[in-house]
Amino acid sequence: MILSHFQTLMLFALAVSLAFAFLSKHTMSEQLRYAVWSFLGFLVVAIGIGWLMYPFSR
Amino acid sequence: MESGETEMETEPAATTTVRLNPLLAIAAAAAAWCVPGLGHLLLRRWAKALVYFLAVASLAVAGLLMRGNIFHSNAADAFEMLGFLADIGSGVFYFLADKIDVAGPDVSHASGDYGTRLIATAGVLNILCVLEAFEIGLRRRGRAGA
Repeated sequence: MILSHFQTLMLFALAVSLAFAFLSKHTMSEQLRYAVWSFLGFLVVAIGIGWLMYPFSR
Repeated sequence: MESGETEMETEPAATTTVRLNPLLAIAAAAAAWCVPGLGHLLLRRWAKALVYFLAVASLAVAGLLMRGNIFHSNAADAFEMLGFLADIGSGVFYFLADKIDVAGPDVSHASGDYGTRLIATAGVLNILCVLEAFEIGLRRRGRAGA
């Protein structure tokens, strides 16, 4: 199975966000909110760091 | 010092006493390590059990199918030992690695390298779940007198 870097990142972010949400929050609404924000945070930070590293790739 | 000790002695006892259950805690932690989510299943935390199993299983199986590397106990250096400790955290997926990834690891491509990280992530994530199962099991009986 071959996943791209971005697909791997999505899988990682989804699994870790869900697990962290259930580990740290108690009510379903808190867990859902935490999972969504955490997932988006992973994506935004990774894409942001990717763009910051872009000038050094050439 | 003497007055401090006196204060400690005369401090009123807590109104509720937490009764601990170490046997259930150890059983739940062991089950959670063997099969991700099983510890929470024993503790009747259905949603947590399902989510933890899906999270750890998806990471571990994807990592293995991407031909990630599994570290073994005969580590040559500290980093390999850390990798082994992370990998073995995923329990059954560590021991079934050869069955899931029959082709064996291949880290000569980026995909295999990503897979190695996913397997380690699955193990570390499951260790967190094991600790939570232990903590829930320890306090399972609730408060005495409640």
